[in-house]
Amino acid sequence: MTPGTPVSSKVVLVPPVLAFLPDYAGLTDPVAELRAVALEAVGWLGADVTVLGDDQAQRVAAHLLASTTRTGSEPSYLVMGNGSARRTDASPGPYDERAVPFDDELGRALRDGDSEALAAVDAELARELWATTGPISEFARLSSISRAEVDYDDAPFGVQYWVVRWLCGS
Amino acid sequence: MTLRLGRHEFADDETLMMAIVNRTPDSFYDRGATYAEDAAFERVEKVVADGAEIVDIGGVRAGYGPAVSAEEEIGRVASFVGRVRAAYPGLVISVDTWRSEVARAVCGEGADVLNDAWGGHDPALMDVAAEFDAAVICTHTGGLKPRTDPYRIEYDDVVRSAIDATLALAERALAAGVARESIVIDPAHDFAKNTFHSLEVTRRLGEMVATGWPVLVSLSNKDFVGETLDLPAKERLTGTLAATAVCALAGARIYRVHEVVETRQTVDMVSSIAGRRPPQRAIRGLQ
Repeated sequence: MTPGTPVSSKVVLVPPVLAFLPDYAGLTDPVAELRAVALEAVGWLGADVTVLGDDQAQRVAAHLLASTTRTGSEPSYLVMGNGSARRTDASPGPYDERAVPFDDELGRALRDGDSEALAAVDAELARELWATTGPISEFARLSSISRAEVDYDDAPFGVQYWVVRWLCGS
Repeated sequence: MTLRLGRHEFADDETLMMAIVNRTPDSFYDRGATYAEDAAFERVEKVVADGAEIVDIGGVRAGYGPAVSAEEEIGRVASFVGRVRAAYPGLVISVDTWRSEVARAVCGEGADVLNDAWGGHDPALMDVAAEFDAAVICTHTGGLKPRTDPYRIEYDDVVRSAIDATLALAERALAAGVARESIVIDPAHDFAKNTFHSLEVTRRLGEMVATGWPVLVSLSNKDFVGETLDLPAKERLTGTLAATAVCALAGARIYRVHEVVETRQTVDMVSSIAGRRPPQRAIRGLQ
């Protein structure tokens, strides 16, 4: 991605949840609701999608993309990120009192399409709080968000997930 | 191959719980607790609620005891099968009998499976199964007559004997017209076997599974468990479940049991360890 992304580009944020992968499918899907929302959002993207995320997130994204049928030629981006995994005693990471306020602020910026705030997320704090925000900041630094729609905002396993759709300009 | 038990079909990876329902006054484990028809029906209600796919209804104790005529056996089981059939259309009904006249009566009432626990003693039973399109369980009983305990029986190779005998019965069933997908083999633990034999059959159950025929195991609280652990009938559950786990790892398909819930959990756990069954719901470390 380069600066100057056309106004009509579509962007979706989903969490890189490993439970999305068929390798880890149980008889009952623990992320059924999140999966349904994520797939609907990913299906909204155009045919060609650029994924932002590490190798593990790329695998999750590839599965979501392969599970949808998409048309359209709009530039499309799938950003793989989530909030803290240290929110409660039931979270995967040990409880940290800074987690919920961190997520609250990050959630606000996602909802408001506040590119400036998203670009400036404290990467060191995010790392300490087991939050995956690098791809979010990477995208925000390169694009301005003109419209934001939050499809999912919950932390069912003590990890803060969002599914967000953005329309972006340069 | 899809397993078909009467009107019910099951995929290759499905394991099935066959719950024992005795309409007998003297069976070794329940001691007549479900001899009365209403008590037996309550047992059916319970095991269905516990998740059993099959009930195995028996009217004659396997061990020694007062003689039970065919007429008496029919009186104990046939109309009861009809009652269970009417109440539970989706339940597989098996009847544990060696007699073709009993088989005919229960098939007429809607039985799906004939559990020929005395290994082809009455050859006409296969003809009844074919006539009613019922499934049959082919068991290894070492040539013993019904209701006979083993006495100084030895084998060159007990597993080979079990395979040869059950496959011969399976071929006989096929020749009689029983559908290939409706034939099950059972090494018959404790039947014509001392404890060492039953342990060896358990240890080598994979050889029976390798024949390609679906394998039923009837381990529940039996004497080989009791002798191995020196425990009376009511204290054999842990040993039964250990044997169940070994058979599940080997790939047994049907488990004839007293305790449905405990056996189901054991078989599911082992099936998942073996990679044949996904976990029910996995999120740990995958959030």
